[in-house]
Amino acid sequence: MENTGTVTAKNIMIKCNSIFKTFESKDDENEVIRNFNLEIKENEFVVLFGPGQCGKTTVLNIIAGLEQSTKGEVFVNGRKITEPGPDRGMVYQTTALFPWLTVMGNVEFGPKSLGVKKKERRERAQYYIDLVGLKGFEKHYPIKLSGGMQQRVGIARAYCNNPPVILLDEPFGALDAQTRYLMEEELGRICTKEKRTIVFVTNNIEEAIYLADRIVLLTNCPTTIRKEYIIGLPRPRDYTSNDFLTLRKEITSEMDETI
Amino acid sequence: MKRVFTKEKVQMALWGIIGLMSILLIWQISVMVTSLGRIMPEPIEVVKSFLISSIKPVGRYTLLQHMLFSLLRVFVGFSLSGVSGIILGIAMGRSKTINSIASPIFNMVRPIPGVAWIPLAILWFGIGETTKYFIIFMGGFAQVVVNTMSGARKVDKTLVGAARMLGANKRQEFFRIVIPSSVPYIFAGLQISLSTSWMAVLAAEMVSSYKGSGWIIITGMNNGNTVQILVGMISIGVVGLGLANLMRIIERRLCSWRIQGQ
Amino acid sequence: MVNNNTIEEEKITSVQSPEVKVQVRGLTKSFGDLLVLDDVSFDVRKGEFLCIVGPTGCGKTTFLNSLTKLYTIDEGEMLVDGEPMDLKKHDIAYIFQEYSTMSWLRVDENVSFGLRIKGYPEEVIKERVDKVLKMIGLDKYRHYYPKKLSASMLQRVVIARAFAVEPELLLMDEPYGQLDLQLKYKLEDELLRLWEKTGTTVIFITHNIEEAVYLSDRILVLTNKPAKIKEELINDLPRPRDIADPKFVELRNRVTELIKWW
Repeated sequence: MENTGTVTAKNIMIKCNSIFKTFESKDDENEVIRNFNLEIKENEFVVLFGPGQCGKTTVLNIIAGLEQSTKGEVFVNGRKITEPGPDRGMVYQTTALFPWLTVMGNVEFGPKSLGVKKKERRERAQYYIDLVGLKGFEKHYPIKLSGGMQQRVGIARAYCNNPPVILLDEPFGALDAQTRYLMEEELGRICTKEKRTIVFVTNNIEEAIYLADRIVLLTNCPTTIRKEYIIGLPRPRDYTSNDFLTLRKEITSEMDETI
Repeated sequence: MKRVFTKEKVQMALWGIIGLMSILLIWQISVMVTSLGRIMPEPIEVVKSFLISSIKPVGRYTLLQHMLFSLLRVFVGFSLSGVSGIILGIAMGRSKTINSIASPIFNMVRPIPGVAWIPLAILWFGIGETTKYFIIFMGGFAQVVVNTMSGARKVDKTLVGAARMLGANKRQEFFRIVIPSSVPYIFAGLQISLSTSWMAVLAAEMVSSYKGSGWIIITGMNNGNTVQILVGMISIGVVGLGLANLMRIIERRLCSWRIQGQ
Repeated sequence: MVNNNTIEEEKITSVQSPEVKVQVRGLTKSFGDLLVLDDVSFDVRKGEFLCIVGPTGCGKTTFLNSLTKLYTIDEGEMLVDGEPMDLKKHDIAYIFQEYSTMSWLRVDENVSFGLRIKGYPEEVIKERVDKVLKMIGLDKYRHYYPKKLSASMLQRVVIARAFAVEPELLLMDEPYGQLDLQLKYKLEDELLRLWEKTGTTVIFITHNIEEAVYLSDRILVLTNKPAKIKEELINDLPRPRDIADPKFVELRNRVTELIKWW
């Protein structure tokens, strides 16, 4: 597979520079990430795909600035990442919605924090609420929404600050298989409409192939890149097309060797 | 909130009334046929006296006024313990240093019940209102602190992270994440604190006062007036029930985001 | 059902036997005005692997809870070997979505739990537990507490516990929902192996169409609420199955078409 070394520095949005991460506890050291290098182009949809629970989420958290690497650095838009910030939207598996805020309150949280005037932030939030298909649910509290709808709120909230980068950490991992297909379709639609650079973590191979421009296959602990796949299938993709299934088997067997 | 009278709710209410009536009936019958009549008045007598003393003064004030005096004391003491308890609780929950300083003292003082402070309070503040406020304060303070503290500690780290990813600064993080997610805990603390405050005011009034529900009971005892004692006790029960319901309504309003279903 | 040439193991021949193990007749359940199950009837043959799939929110959980008698059903009955299902008489095991291991028991104690309740002699328990732990590859972990095990290991414990009682009927509710696809297929293969070895009758309820096609001898497709049986599909693809096999894809697409709401 082609690597991304040929692209010019200008349109590289995310750059991970030999990242290492070791968790230290009282009596042992646990190396989670070893020499992780990755460049992601602007508006590229990259899926970090790999087995188990090991380092995928940690990589994402380091890009988010929620965790610090032991060694190496991350640049987003040419700026070194040291802490969380509104230039990167994040979507969580657990949704991490603020339960005491309504759908509108959650979505406008970002702009409100940044001091955007009420009228403007309401308009912007409304745009994204409509985009994710939640029109009419603005005043609902998260607890009253289904899992799929909660995740829609999470996506709208991440987009509402208008960040160039969106990070998604197994966002559909807790949904049932059918709702999951629906959400994958929806995310595909949103991404075509609102171009962003996306890093998507998953352990579901169907989801990875359905969504990605490029799949980065990771090894198990300590996490590093095993192989990359550029996914050239036309969109919208068909889960049961021959090409899809062939690719799925190829990547799966490659991963099985990893385990 | 819409009120729905389902068949089941009506049934439950009916059972409640039946329960209450049967207790009164048993009381009435026992007084009539056994020697219990020598130490207990008839329930009719008590209810009558309860209604009369609502208009006619007992001592200097009517029963309602006595209840209001007690409530006022509770209101002052409870507000003090609530506000300071929330502040200390959040401080201890969020700052390790403050927690290290405060927790040894706090944990030692905490097991001492509010009423144990009565003698000291009287020596310090005399028998005026300050003493009552102080006792109520000591009775309710610890519960608020303990609950608030655990609420402030249990703030979901993912939510804090999510807020920071959305651009919230430290101040916003505190006011828009830590505080709201502690509210349910704070409320649980306030609820317990309110009921202990109500108990503390009665204890304080029994020791030294010339008004309040506690005073009614104590003078009843001094005069050998069982009816008056029972009237005082019932007034306490009624007010306590009212306060608990009030808190529940406020909680529903404030924490409606936690209630599942339609 | 024919197609005998695809069968390799002798054991499976018994699957083909027409002997009916479970009969569900006219199962109906509603909550208030909401009808959730509408006159569901089907048979399961001895040793058959039956998958039931339906659209999200079709009342899958209600369906299962009615089968397990967790809910009292409005109408209908469930017969095992022609007699009304009786949890005391019939050996029926359940595996639910949540890993319901008992956290205070070690792996082998968890697995032997059901056997102890049924009062098996100690030697039998030991033999059965050893056998099933070996089959599922948990032998090394027999003295671990659940807290120390990964999600997939926990799911294995649950499956081992179910198979330890050598159930006549195994009811499963999407037991692999939260696991990653890789592990899921591994565990599914393990499940198929155990099932083929023991000849247990399985009813497996899921939202995952591919999973149903991968596992089943037969698929019942449910309608949306109120759930009724929409269609019954025989699945005689040879095992081990290949998800990219055109016949597999054809069946999967057919089930998808019957269910698709998204």
